[in-house]
Amino acid sequence: MNPENILEIKDLKVKFPVTGGLFLRKVAEVKAVDGVSFNLKKGETLGLVGESGCGKSTIGKAVINILKFSSHDVEIDGEIWMKTETGEIDLNKLSRSEMRKHRGNIQMIFQDPYSSLNARMSVGQIIEEPLLYHTNMNKKEREERVAWLLEKVGLQAEQSKRYPHEFSGGQRQRIGIARALSTNPKIIIADEPVSALDVSIQAQVINLLQDLQEEFDLSLLFIAHDLSVVEHISSRIAVMYLGNFCEVGDGYRIYHHPIHPYSKALLSAVPLPNPKLKNKERIILTGDVPTPMNKPSGCGFRTRCPIAKPECADFIPPLEEKEPGHFAACPYVSA
Amino acid sequence: MTTYFIRRFLLIIPTFLGITLVTFLILQIVPGGPLEMELMKIRMGGSDGVSESGSTSGSTQNIPQSAIEELQKFYGFDKPIHERYILWLGNLLKLDLGKSYVYSEPVMDVITSRFPISIYFGLIGFILTYIVCIPLGVYKAVKNGSKFDFITSALVFAGYAIPGFAFGALMLVLFGGGSFWDVFPLGGFRSSDYETLSLSGKIWDQIHHTILPVASYMIGSFATLTILTKNSVIENLSQDYIRTAFSKGLTEKRVIFGHALRNSLIPISTGLGHAISLVLAGSILIEKVFNINGIGLLSYDSIIQRDYPVVMGILVISTLLLLVGNILSDILYAIVDPRIRFK
Amino acid sequence: MHKKLVEIKNLKTYFFVEDTEKQKSLHQEISDPALMDLYKTDKYLKNKVPAKAVDDVSFDIYEGEVLGIVGESGSGKSVTAYSITRLIPDPPGKIVSGEIIFKGKDLLKISFEEMKKYRGNEISMIFQEPMTSLNPVMKIGDQIMEAILNHEEIPKEKAEKKAIEMLTLVGIPSPEKRLKDYPHQFSGGMRQRVMIAMALALHPSLLIADEPTTALDVTIQAQILELMLRLKKEREDSAILLITHNLGVVAETCDRVIVMYGGKIQEISEVDPLFEKPLHPYTVGLLSSLPNPDLPMEELKAIPGNIPHILELPKACKFNTRCTKAFDKCFETEPELLEVEKNRFVRCHLYENEK
Ligand SMILES: Nc1ncnc2c1ncn2[C@@H]1O[C@H](COP(=O)(O)OP(=O)(O)OP(=O)(O)O)[C@@H](O)[C@H]1O
Ligand SMILES: Nc1ncnc2c1ncn2[C@@H]1O[C@H](COP(=O)(O)OP(=O)(O)O)[C@@H](O)[C@H]1O
Ligand code: SF4
Ligand code: SF4
Ligand SMILES: [Mg+2]
Ligand SMILES: [Mg+2]
Repeated sequence: MNPENILEIKDLKVKFPVTGGLFLRKVAEVKAVDGVSFNLKKGETLGLVGESGCGKSTIGKAVINILKFSSHDVEIDGEIWMKTETGEIDLNKLSRSEMRKHRGNIQMIFQDPYSSLNARMSVGQIIEEPLLYHTNMNKKEREERVAWLLEKVGLQAEQSKRYPHEFSGGQRQRIGIARALSTNPKIIIADEPVSALDVSIQAQVINLLQDLQEEFDLSLLFIAHDLSVVEHISSRIAVMYLGNFCEVGDGYRIYHHPIHPYSKALLSAVPLPNPKLKNKERIILTGDVPTPMNKPSGCGFRTRCPIAKPECADFIPPLEEKEPGHFAACPYVSA
Repeated sequence: MTTYFIRRFLLIIPTFLGITLVTFLILQIVPGGPLEMELMKIRMGGSDGVSESGSTSGSTQNIPQSAIEELQKFYGFDKPIHERYILWLGNLLKLDLGKSYVYSEPVMDVITSRFPISIYFGLIGFILTYIVCIPLGVYKAVKNGSKFDFITSALVFAGYAIPGFAFGALMLVLFGGGSFWDVFPLGGFRSSDYETLSLSGKIWDQIHHTILPVASYMIGSFATLTILTKNSVIENLSQDYIRTAFSKGLTEKRVIFGHALRNSLIPISTGLGHAISLVLAGSILIEKVFNINGIGLLSYDSIIQRDYPVVMGILVISTLLLLVGNILSDILYAIVDPRIRFK
Repeated sequence: MHKKLVEIKNLKTYFFVEDTEKQKSLHQEISDPALMDLYKTDKYLKNKVPAKAVDDVSFDIYEGEVLGIVGESGSGKSVTAYSITRLIPDPPGKIVSGEIIFKGKDLLKISFEEMKKYRGNEISMIFQEPMTSLNPVMKIGDQIMEAILNHEEIPKEKAEKKAIEMLTLVGIPSPEKRLKDYPHQFSGGMRQRVMIAMALALHPSLLIADEPTTALDVTIQAQILELMLRLKKEREDSAILLITHNLGVVAETCDRVIVMYGGKIQEISEVDPLFEKPLHPYTVGLLSSLPNPDLPMEELKAIPGNIPHILELPKACKFNTRCTKAFDKCFETEPELLEVEKNRFVRCHLYENEK
C-alpha cells in the first residue's frame, strides 16, 4: 500500500443475484458496483456523488464489510486493503469473527436519523454498545466515555438517559456520530449523513463533522447526492453513474471544471441559490437512469449522453488521467 | 408468475405428505388405539365373571391369542408402521380412504354425508359475515370516533369475547324450546316432519333452524373482519393518493368507493382463499350445542372413538383445502393488486 | 404588475392536539374571538390545544407569476397551500379564520360542494411524493381521465384523447400504451410527469406544487422544473405557487418569495433582492448556512439551536430562540409584517423605523 493511503480499493464488484424460474435459480444479476478502484488518503475526505441507485451506499457497505454478512447471496469481488497498527489487511478476505476485531477501526454513519437508532435503547446504551464489543472498558470507563462523546457532538452528558424519539432529526444525527466515534475509528463512512436534515441543521452537522475530523485525524468517505455539500466538505470527489466511476479528482477542479459529460450534466442541473445565474446554459438530460439490471453495454451513460457515439456501445471506458490527479472515464473529452 | 404458482402447486405434495405422515405416526403410536379399545370392550362387556377378578389395565391374557391376532388383522395392525402408511397412501391415490371402524361404511360416504350440512352453515355464515362486516367497517371508518362507531365497536368486541358455543347455549336457553320464549327450535338441521311440509313450510323450517346456529358461527368472526375493514379503510384514507383524489375535486363518495375501498379490500380479499377451508371446518362445540351432524362433530366423535380412517380422511380433505386455499389467496392477491408479482 | 389572482387575508389554520398540561392554562390565553367561538361550539376541541401551524398569514398571488414559499420543515408551508383548496384533514385541523379570495370569491365561505368545482379545475395541485400520490391499483389513464370527466361532460373517448395529449405534452413516450399501465410501472420522475399531466389537463389558473422535486434526483429535478415552467408560459395569466425548502430551486424558478418560520410569514420579497440582500435575520441565516462553492472548507455559518416544537414556539418573535441579533424587545412583543421597501415586507423589530 502507498504510505499516504489508509484504504485502497481495487476493482470492487458487487453483484446481487436475481432469482426466478420454477426452482428459483439465479436468472440475472444486479451489478450494483461494477469494477471500482479508489484510495482514501489518511486524514482526507473523499466525496462520493451520484444519483440514487448508482451504487454509492453499496460501496460504503461493501467497504465496512456488512454486506457479506447481511445478505448471503451477494457476490463481492475485489480487494479492500486497510492499514492498521499491525499491518495491512484485505477486509474482503476476512471472516465474520476476524472482521469484528477490526470493526472498531472503521465505522459508518447512516442517512436516516429516524430509523438508524434503536428506539428501545437509551442514547447512552446506543453509544455504549460498540464499546462493549470492541474494547475492554469497565462500566465506569464506558460511562465516562459516553458522557465525553455526547459533549463532543454538542449534546449534554445528562441526555444519555433519554430515548431517540425525544430528539430532533439533527440531534439524532449527532447521536449517530457519537456512536460511530465511540471506538476511536480511523475511518468513517458517512452515507448521506445530512440529506434528511433542514438547511440550517445540515450546516451544523457538516461543521461538526469537519471539526471532529480535524480533532481526531479521521479519514472520511462522504457519500451524498448534493454536489454543493460534497464540494464543501471534500478534498477529492468521485462521481458515479450506474456502478462505475465517471470522474475522480480534486473537489474544486471537478466542481468548477468537470470533464466527463455526466459530471457536466449533473453540475449544470444543480439549482444555484443565485437568481443571476437563472438563465445559464443548462444541459437537461433526457430520460431516466436505466436500472442496473439492464445496464447498457459499453459505457453505462451512453443512453443519455449528449455526445455519445456508436462506438460507445462496444467498450467500457476506463478512467484516464486527463490532467494531473484528475481522471475521467471517457475517451472523447479532455481537460 | 405462472411458474410461481406451478411451483406452489408442486409444493403441495411434500407438505401434504409431511402432514399426513406425522399425523399417521402419532395416531398409531399413542396408547388407547382402536385395538385396545376393542379389547377393553370385549373384556368389560364380554362376560361379567371374567372382568370382576381380572385387572382391567391392559392385560390381554384372558382373551385368546387367535382372537387378538384376528383383531389386529382387521385393523391392519399386523404389518409394520411404514408399510401401513404406504398402503394407506396407495389406497388414497385410488380415492379409497378405507372403512370407518365405527360406522362400517366407506370413509368417503361417511364424510360426504356430512358435507352438505357443514357447507350449508359455513357458506351462509361466511357470506353473511362479509355482507355485514365490510359495509359496517367502511361506515365505521368514515364515521371514526362517532357515537355509532363507539357503540358498534363495543358490540362487536363483546361478540368476540363470548365463545360461539356459549352464545349458542345462551340463545337456546332463552329462545329455544320453551323455557323462556319458544321462538326457535332446540336444534337439529331440520324438523323431523320436514318431508311432509309444503314448500313454503320447508323454507320456513329451514330458516327457522338456521338462524341461531349461524348467528353463533358468525359472532366471533364479526369483530375480526369489521375491524380489519375499518382499519384498512382508515389507513388508506390517510394515504397520499387520497389527497390527490380530493384535489381533483372528486366527491367524498367517489373518493371512498372509487379509491380508498379498492385498496382497502386487498388484505380482505386475500382472506377469501382461506375461507374455503373454514367453511368446511365448522365448529365442534356449536354443532354439539345445536345437535347438528356436521363435519366438526364427526371429527370430534371419530377422535374420541379412535375411528382412525375417518380421522385421516378428514385430515386429508382439510389439509388439501387449506393448501389450495393458501394458493388461491395468493392468486386473488395478484389479481386485485397489480403491484404484486410473485416470482 | 398583473392582476391579483388570489388574495389571502389573515389565514389561521390550527391543528388541535391533546396536551393535558398546556390545556390547563389555555383558557386564559385565548384572546382570538374566532378561536373562542370554535371552542364554545365544537365539543371535539375539549381538552385539546391549538398547534398554530399557520398563524395569521396574508399574501397575494398575481396572475402570471411563480410565487415561492420557503422555510424549514414544520414552518407551515404545506398547510398554507392545502388551506387554499381546503384540503386540511379535519379532525385534527381547522381553518379557524381568514379569507381566501380567488377571482373575487371567498373560498372559505362557499359550500363544500361548490369547493369541489374549483379543485382540479381552477386550482390544481402536485405533491411531494410521486411514489405514493397516485392510486396504486388504478391505471394511469383512468386516473387522468377521472380528473377530466369529473369537471367536463364529454364522452369517454374524448377524455382519453385528451389524456394522451397531456401525456405527450409532459414527455411520456408512446402514451397510448402507457395509459394502460399502473403507477408502479413508472419511475419517480415519470410519475411526477403524470401528476403534472393530470393537474394541467383542465388548464387551471393556479397550480400549487408542494415540493414537486424534493424526492427526485437532480437531473430529473431539472427536467421537471423545466417542464413546469414551459407549460406555464403557454398560459400567460396562470400562476404557480411553488413550495420548497431548496433555495436553489427558488432562485432559479420563482419571481417572488415568501419566507416562513414558525407558522408566520417572516419576509416577502421579489427574488433578486432577497438573494442579494436578505433582510430578516432568519433569511440571512438560511442563505449563509448554504455551502459556498467558491469558499470550500470554510466553516459554514449555521443557524444555532434547533427548530422549536410547534407547541413550544416563543410568544413574541418566533425566531428569538435562535436569532443572533435578538434584543430585549424581541422577547416582549411580536413584530408586525411591515413593508420596508416597495414590495418588500419584513417581520422584525430591527426594521421598524426604516419606513
Ligand atoms: N395532521 C396534522 N396533525 C397535527 N399537526 C399537523 C398536521 N399537519 C401538519 N401539522 C403541523 O403543522 C405544522 C406545519 O406543517 P406543514 O406541513 O405546513 O410544514 P411544512 O412547512 O410544509 O414542512 P415540510 O418542509 O416538512 O413539508 C407542523 O408543525 C406540523 O407538525
Ligand atoms: N440487498 C440488495 N438486493 C438487491 N439489489 C440491491 C440491494 N442493495 C442495493 N441494491 C441495488 O443496487 C443498486 C445500488 O444501490 P445503492 O448502493 O443503495 O444506491 P445509492 O446509495 O447510490 O442510492 C440499486 O439499483 C439497488 O436497487
Ligand atoms: S464514452 Fe461515449 S457515452 Fe460514455 S461518456 Fe464518453 S461519449 Fe458519452
Ligand atoms: S425580531 Fe428580534 S429576534 Fe426576531 S428576527 Fe428580528 S431581531 Fe431576531
Ligand atoms: Mg443510498
Ligand atoms: Mg410540507
